[in-house]
Amino acid sequence: MCMKKLFILFGLLLSIAANAQNTEGVVNFTRKEYWSRIINRMTYLSQEEKDRSAQIRKNWEEDNKGEKMKLSFNENESMYTYGSEQGETDDGQYSWRHDEYKLYRNFEKDQKIDIIQMLGKTYIVEDSLHTPTWKIGDQIKEVAGYICMKAETEDPIKKQKITAWFAQDIPVSAGPERYNGLPGVILELSLNDGDVIIEATKVTLRKLTPDDLKMPKLKGKKINDAMYDSIIQQRIAESMTAHQNPFWSLRY
Amino acid sequence: MKHICLLAVLCLITSVLYAQNPAGPTRFTLQGRAVDTLAAPLAESTVMLLSAKDSSLVNFTRASSNGSFAFKNIKSGNYVLKISFVGFIPYNEVIKPATDAVMDLGDLKMKPITRELFEVVVRTAKAPLTIRGDTIEYNASSFKVPPGSTVEDLLKKLPGVQVDQDGNIRAQGQEVKKVTVDGKSFFGNDPKLATKNLQAMAVSKVQVYNDKTEQAKLTGVEDGKKEKTVNLELKEEFKKGGFGKVTAGGGPASNGLSARAEIKGNYNKFDAKKQFSVIGLGNNTNQQGLSFNDYQDFRGSNSFNWNDNADFGFSSGRFLSFGDNDETLGIPIAGGNGQGFSNNAAGGANYNYDTKKTKLSTSYYYNQTRLELNSLQNTRTFLTNGSFRTADTSNQVNFNGNHRVNIRLEKQLDSMNTVVFINNSRLNNGNASISNFQNLYRTDGASLAEALSTRNSTNNISTSRQFGSANSLIYRLKFKKKGRSFAASATYQINTNDGNLNLRAMNQFFQVTSANDQIRLIRQDQATNSLRNEYKASLLYVEPFAKKFYWETFYNFDLRFDEVDRAVLNLADTGPVRNDSLSRYYKNNYTINRLGSSIRYSFKGLNLSAGLAGQYFTLNGEYAPEKQSTNYQFIDRSYTTLIPNVSLNYDLKNNKYLYGGYDKNVRIPSSRDLQPIINNTNPLYINKGNPNLLPEFQHNVNLGFYYFNPGSFINLGLNVNSSYYVNQIVYSRDIDPTTLVTTTTPENITGGKNLDSYFNFGFPLKKTKANLNLNSQLNFGQNLTNINRILNQTNNQNYTFGTRLDLTPTEWLTFYANASIGRTNTSYSINQSQNQTLINNNFSGDLTLKLPGTIYLNSSLNYRINKNDKFNFDQRIPIWNASVYHILGKAQKAEVRLSAFDLLNRNVQITQYAGQNYVQESSVQTLARYFMLSFTYNMRGVTASMRRNNNF
Repeated sequence: MCMKKLFILFGLLLSIAANAQNTEGVVNFTRKEYWSRIINRMTYLSQEEKDRSAQIRKNWEEDNKGEKMKLSFNENESMYTYGSEQGETDDGQYSWRHDEYKLYRNFEKDQKIDIIQMLGKTYIVEDSLHTPTWKIGDQIKEVAGYICMKAETEDPIKKQKITAWFAQDIPVSAGPERYNGLPGVILELSLNDGDVIIEATKVTLRKLTPDDLKMPKLKGKKINDAMYDSIIQQRIAESMTAHQNPFWSLRY
Repeated sequence: MKHICLLAVLCLITSVLYAQNPAGPTRFTLQGRAVDTLAAPLAESTVMLLSAKDSSLVNFTRASSNGSFAFKNIKSGNYVLKISFVGFIPYNEVIKPATDAVMDLGDLKMKPITRELFEVVVRTAKAPLTIRGDTIEYNASSFKVPPGSTVEDLLKKLPGVQVDQDGNIRAQGQEVKKVTVDGKSFFGNDPKLATKNLQAMAVSKVQVYNDKTEQAKLTGVEDGKKEKTVNLELKEEFKKGGFGKVTAGGGPASNGLSARAEIKGNYNKFDAKKQFSVIGLGNNTNQQGLSFNDYQDFRGSNSFNWNDNADFGFSSGRFLSFGDNDETLGIPIAGGNGQGFSNNAAGGANYNYDTKKTKLSTSYYYNQTRLELNSLQNTRTFLTNGSFRTADTSNQVNFNGNHRVNIRLEKQLDSMNTVVFINNSRLNNGNASISNFQNLYRTDGASLAEALSTRNSTNNISTSRQFGSANSLIYRLKFKKKGRSFAASATYQINTNDGNLNLRAMNQFFQVTSANDQIRLIRQDQATNSLRNEYKASLLYVEPFAKKFYWETFYNFDLRFDEVDRAVLNLADTGPVRNDSLSRYYKNNYTINRLGSSIRYSFKGLNLSAGLAGQYFTLNGEYAPEKQSTNYQFIDRSYTTLIPNVSLNYDLKNNKYLYGGYDKNVRIPSSRDLQPIINNTNPLYINKGNPNLLPEFQHNVNLGFYYFNPGSFINLGLNVNSSYYVNQIVYSRDIDPTTLVTTTTPENITGGKNLDSYFNFGFPLKKTKANLNLNSQLNFGQNLTNINRILNQTNNQNYTFGTRLDLTPTEWLTFYANASIGRTNTSYSINQSQNQTLINNNFSGDLTLKLPGTIYLNSSLNYRINKNDKFNFDQRIPIWNASVYHILGKAQKAEVRLSAFDLLNRNVQITQYAGQNYVQESSVQTLARYFMLSFTYNMRGVTASMRRNNNF
């Protein structure tokens, strides 16, 4: 009886996967930062200081609910930004301002526009997509109800190992943060073996409204990918020399 | 010649190789069709072309509705074709360099993943499933087994795996012949040995695959037979470990001091759930408490907890406080050198147990200090007509021992309900012996000529035994509706203090005319027993009543019982006689009811709230000379107060923050201040209570701004604080013109005010190498006191300017410098001729050098200047410390250090203070020059602290 039910369910899933045009919708993500792991990478700290920080932060990290993020996509475009218009406590009773962070991708025109506020300035990064070289693995797992395959790459500037899980049946090259270029939309992203984990909580397939992909008109310093990379690289080098964690002021 | 030959051979080989494959095109088309085992098309399947070298993605496409796909115009080379389709095992095929322009792979059959595996492992358990050919990987943590279970129990839970009664394992219907651990055989080849002996807790992954037979492995000849094998991957044990360190040092007797010694050690052991730590220290170098780092190592995950305040109030958090409620129940954190000479010992143990639902922390800590203080103090007190000077020499030895127990338990009942229990308790034993010698000189206004007026010598011995315990239970409830919350708390506090004082004093009054009044001897034994019980309860409810708006309501109830029994015996030659004017028994009951409400707006970083609370306070008291007395007197009082509150926190664009607020503090008169009891512990300085005292109100306005530019490292901060007092509780001073005995009484005075400001500006002179910081503090105060029934207004104007320079030019040299200059102008309305200026300047530098061979050198100099020109007071004290240390061994776990403290032998604690109607300078003899050789062993390695870390 039970087997039969499962079988029907399975068949149903297969048919959905095969028939739906899953190329337009919104993915909600939760982005969690694991600071004891990030702190553990600071070369200027002694092992004692790293241990101390890990012990003290243990309970806080378990309670951390993470930041809500949102990815809107269709076949040719995507937009990734915060899930809510403000930063707030779990109960919403206290709020703070978000730094500007809006990433627009156009896969058809091989074009990107990023609005990123960092280091006291607003930058507008305009360039072609510069898709990273992805290595495809053999693992599958479910994320937010979708079966995903594993892919890996490396951030050459921050020297981070990036692991992405992309949906087999949402054939769009979009993804969270500055990552894209896989055969399916990325539903989970792990930076540097889990220092930061961006995980989809909900996928809604629907027609996008023009607002979903709208970029605000913002003044900022126009740069390209190469300049962006050199700013990040210089900042990390400077901070490490000054014995300061670069990721208090840079997005990990 | 040789090279040309080689080149020729190479050319030949390449051309031969090329010739072997003459028709190979440089570009070709790869096509095929994805189908299932029954040849039905798998429409829309994902088709990827990977580089054979490293699996990197070269190209991808989607199959059409009939399953067919094509990659056109691809470079010739080695590829892996990968096709994926939900519910099927990914298809892999190696593509060799093409021989034709079109390579058609035909129908590519994909095998479905076992339904059971797919539904249970992937969908239900949400475990990643690795499929490499025939390998299936299970994530062990996704399958819950009770603690203490073996791997066999775990295997029974895995879909597709069966374990029979004898422990034989079958996977996908086949018998498992071999179990390996991390790829290695475990105790021979009996699979049951591993599965029955190994704890399930230790396993992170279970992999099931077909291995070649031992025969095939040995001969390298494929016999086509495969054995079902289970591999157990063990957990990384990084979450488990221990660390600790120990430092021991000693120095020779010198400089009139006995030998110095110090020892300090701590050890921590932890795993994913438990943290256990012990700490101990002992020294005679004035290091009294734990450093901030030691404290964090000791308490671990329970070092800091939020939301532990059981007294709910306005969101800014201030709550009413009692005048003498200064119980120190927490573990003391103390930094640098104390004054005087102290011998210290401390030790404790802490245990934390943390799971997602339960967090328990318990600790025991004992510390004791024996402190020897020898001080000289000069106080000039101004009267309406003239002044007098008190020269005070005192020697005292204090002993203080404290046992502390701290317990905190947090339990998450479910996702909505949380309960926190906190107990902090302390048992204190103390004794002190003080001998004091005072001369009071009357000063003639203009000429400053002094005449000895009064002399006091006192010998006091006191003992005390105190117990304090605070117990709180906090319950918090969240609701489905975001932002709605409820909390309730209950607190019980108890404090007892049994104190004994043996007072022996002789006072000589040289200016009195009657011979009878010239000498007064006091010989008293005073016993004071006090008990306080306090019961508190609080409620808090928050309702989000519109988008961005919250309505908060709180209620506090507080019931306090005080009971004090003070017996004073005069020791006469005939035996002890009860002193009825100083003995007292009293009981006080306080109740406080407070109801408050506020509206809060929160949107995009603008957080603004305004509220009002009403407080009703009653005090019922009875007092008599002794408990058995029939002649009780009563105090019965009630007050109603309104407490407004405003608070602002604004997160502006580009790292600018604005904050501010208004609040009103209510200070309830302490029971000691309300009772008309005379305290003559110091016969020349007598305290007397005032039963007519009203609560004090302090109105505070605070405004601040902060800016930080993370790009340029420039930071700027400004803060202004001002307060105004209504019915301020001020101790009036009545000075007997003949004996110069001061009697103080608490009184209510309105009109005192303060304005304090702080400004800070920091910027890099050269990024990462030099930083400069400028700061200033400007404080203005106006204090009112009754001096001999005349209202005196003391105005203080304090200007302090400081600068800090951080130089970190290289990895082998760091230098930190500080300078601050301070000036305080004080004026007295009752005696303008006594207006004066105090100067407090401080300059310091700290240099660290790294020498070859892991030898480090540190030297610091601190130069303090305290001046008061009016009294020709001028103290300039340089303190020079230096140390050299060497980190030993390849593992760098040990350090040997030679330190010299106060090389110039000038250390003495100087303080200068201008009070209501007096100026005071005091100097305390303090541990000066000593040398120490110490050794440190740190399990986690010793690191030289060349550069101050900005933060984690």
